[in-house]
Amino acid sequence: MTIEIPKEKWTGSVCEVTFGATADEGGTRSRTLTVGGETAMPFLHFEGVTPNPPALALEIRDRKPDDWSPLLHQAWGEAMEDPGEWAKAAETAGADMIYLALSLTTADGEPNTPENARAVVRKVLQASGLPLAVAGPGQAEVDNQLLVPVAEEAEGERLLLGICEDKNYRTIVAAALAHNHLVQSKTPMDVNLSKQLVILIHDMGLPLERIIMDPTTGALGYGFEYGYSVMERLRLAAFQGDSMTQQPMLVNPGFETWKVKESKVGEGVPENWGDWDRRAQEWEAITATTLIHSGADILVLRHPESLHRVRTVVDALVNPAATA
Amino acid sequence: MTLLPSNITIEVPTGTLISEVIQQSGLEFIQPCGGQGRCGRCAVIIEKNGVRRRSTIRLSAEDLDAGYALACQTVIEGPTTITIPEQERIERRLVTAKTARKVELPFEYDPAALQSVQAFQVSLPPPSLQDNLDDLSRLEKALADHGYTPLDIPLATLRRLGTTLRTAEWSPWVVIETQAPTSGPARLIDLSSDPIRPIGLAVDIGTTTVTAFLVDLTTGQVMNSAAEYNSQIARGEDVISRIIYAEKTDLNELGELVRQTIDTLLERLKRRTGVPPEGIHKVTVSGNTTMIHLFLGLPPSSIRLTPYIPTVNFPQSYLAAELNLGVHPQASVLCLPGVASYVGADISAGVLACGLTDVDELTLFIDIGTNGEMVLGTRDWMVACACSAGPAFEGAGVVDGMRATAGAIEEVWIHSETFEPTIRVIGNVSPRGICGSGLISILAELFVTGVVDKAGNVKLDLDTPRVRRGEHGPEYVVVWADETETGRDIVLTKVDVDNLMRAKAAIYAGFSVLAANVGVDLADVQQVLIGGAFGQYINVENAIKIGLLPDLPWDRFHFLGNTSVLGSYMALLSRQACEQMRDIAQGMTYIELSADNTFFEAFTAALFLPHTEINRFPSVAMVWERHRQD
Repeated sequence: MTIEIPKEKWTGSVCEVTFGATADEGGTRSRTLTVGGETAMPFLHFEGVTPNPPALALEIRDRKPDDWSPLLHQAWGEAMEDPGEWAKAAETAGADMIYLALSLTTADGEPNTPENARAVVRKVLQASGLPLAVAGPGQAEVDNQLLVPVAEEAEGERLLLGICEDKNYRTIVAAALAHNHLVQSKTPMDVNLSKQLVILIHDMGLPLERIIMDPTTGALGYGFEYGYSVMERLRLAAFQGDSMTQQPMLVNPGFETWKVKESKVGEGVPENWGDWDRRAQEWEAITATTLIHSGADILVLRHPESLHRVRTVVDALVNPAATA
Repeated sequence: MTLLPSNITIEVPTGTLISEVIQQSGLEFIQPCGGQGRCGRCAVIIEKNGVRRRSTIRLSAEDLDAGYALACQTVIEGPTTITIPEQERIERRLVTAKTARKVELPFEYDPAALQSVQAFQVSLPPPSLQDNLDDLSRLEKALADHGYTPLDIPLATLRRLGTTLRTAEWSPWVVIETQAPTSGPARLIDLSSDPIRPIGLAVDIGTTTVTAFLVDLTTGQVMNSAAEYNSQIARGEDVISRIIYAEKTDLNELGELVRQTIDTLLERLKRRTGVPPEGIHKVTVSGNTTMIHLFLGLPPSSIRLTPYIPTVNFPQSYLAAELNLGVHPQASVLCLPGVASYVGADISAGVLACGLTDVDELTLFIDIGTNGEMVLGTRDWMVACACSAGPAFEGAGVVDGMRATAGAIEEVWIHSETFEPTIRVIGNVSPRGICGSGLISILAELFVTGVVDKAGNVKLDLDTPRVRRGEHGPEYVVVWADETETGRDIVLTKVDVDNLMRAKAAIYAGFSVLAANVGVDLADVQQVLIGGAFGQYINVENAIKIGLLPDLPWDRFHFLGNTSVLGSYMALLSRQACEQMRDIAQGMTYIELSADNTFFEAFTAALFLPHTEINRFPSVAMVWERHRQD
């Protein structure tokens, strides 16, 4: 007896979005990265296609961060001392994209400057041929001060600029428009809010295929399910033809998981929590893997080993026959 | 302490609130938030120190320098002098037209069939030595011949029965209530040797305005009508503030205040018609559930607290004497039936008055005030809900908001290139603030011209001095200081925009949830009936532009004015109307939005200009695109 698998017939699809530009395209990247283009829920090959596998980005900083886990310091070692070296190491670790987050202050506590931001971005662009995302430190005024010169410095490179939020998006979008970049549109776990910010950004004249949605996630065990379901609903809306939800989704499980107790604490926890290093990596990798199932197109990670683990899963999902 | 400008000096214990002193002194004084320090309307000027400010949350640094303090948040610690600013006094001007247009009879009026109160002359056989029946039995026997038996005769009437019968030479006039809407024996309301005309009073106790119709029960015609601000306003501008006041301070005071307002109306009606208050034999009262509770002296606390259960939705009728109402003491006072804590008698009355019970087309009835109440349905079914829109559309909670009185900006047009506004002000005066319709109009214009984005963020990078960063964040200057009455700029701040957005989103979300609950599309609504005073001033085009009202052809919107008092009038005239209203209140399905998990989602979707789903507002999308291309 043959079993007929019921199939959804969708009318919409996810936008295909390309980051980075090679020399031919007016940039200096050795390769570009394309995400999106799905026509069905993740990896339901019998319903539609997933033309571009989920991309994995590694987060680096413009200077060695003060608040990162010693486990991450251990993993990256000397490379963390210099953003160029760190970018190279990330490329070697297998990242598809570098996600550079600028710090609020310099190592001696002085405010970060536009000059420094320009220099760091230039250095990272020279050190690695991967497409680049650059995010501000997360304070509206400072973000705008730093990202405008960054956008100008990297003219033509098709950076992903972040982070646009509903109270602060105009300057960043204007910079992306002026210098041909893309933007990250971040909203706090809500379908309507996500859609609203995409509309606002698009209203400024930025084409829909230059917007990436960041619907915000949580770490496994920390409100993660809520974010998961919001992403799933966004994706279903996209397939139903809602053009303001058809942007590829970026989430940052690295940022979320490395701040939870299970990753942060090495001592004084129950013995059956197991080895700290392995536990922290798995927390990041499992969170990321699960997010792939809710439709994430880009995952920003911090640990090279987690990236390796997630990559194994992605490869298996893309090509199930080879793994079976 | 001394109060200026009236120059009253009062001795008070240390620690007394200035607001308490002002109230003790008998001066008129408003506290829209009920003394919670939220509204800033009770600001007074401290001329001589001797006070301690507990909270200054609504005052700017500039205000504090000028000596301002919130009367409800400032205690007296020594000898002091304060000035009560003139402009802060309650405005007595009413927004409703002084000479209301003639109210038509809502239906063919046959008093014999419909009216429960009848007045007529009755002839009794005079007593004699042969016919020595006592006076009461004689009257009862005569009235039994008219079908009124058994008959209740109150002691007060019995006391003057003998004299009256003899003065009337055994042919007295009687007023009888055949059967109160809540059934029972017929009741003798009045007895006189002079002819009596039966008169009724239909009342609507609004949170803001109390309205009364004086009605000739023989013809059914409205003899005259009057309206006055509800005196309770001084103890809180919205129902929640009043419930808090009733809980914390004085329940009876609120009842007393609304009775005073009704007395004022009765006096005015007497002046105009010659009918004294004691000549009124029947009263019907409509109003929201809180107003009815306060009027009846019922503690309203449970209305405010989950699960939001009122003491009564279907009050019986009570004697005027019991309620201390200044009409005939034996008059029955019927408070109309409500549906729930936040869908009260004003809505059941409104539904009856707007004719929703007679239509087959899908109809939306809304009453927008501090609370937005809405009913969706046809003659066969109705669903209702209430959403707390807040008082933003009434001008409260907005920096330069005010009621729709003289000096209020009621409409604004903004030039799409220069961003310069043209304004229309009520009365021939300099602008003082912005009223509800003005606020809707400004928001619509700011949106269409792109001064704010669809999320209501003010675009600070525009090339105009009118957009700037002010004390409360980004703002748009509607009128420069030198053109205003106050000598200060009239502005709409980002915070104001947020308040308006939340208010309109709550109302629209209410529509969405109602429609979704019964599985209809808002676009299929054939008529939108708008009641309430606010509705008379609303501009449909602007209200649609900001996403307050659904995007339907304008000819589907009808403004009905005060439907609550009209319903009260119908109930006064007709027993059937009373029964219908009971059926309406009982049959309506009430959706409690705080227990509805789709409301929040609908609310966030509506928290955008005009709405996150632009395809719900095709006409607005067109206007917006056109502006963008220009």
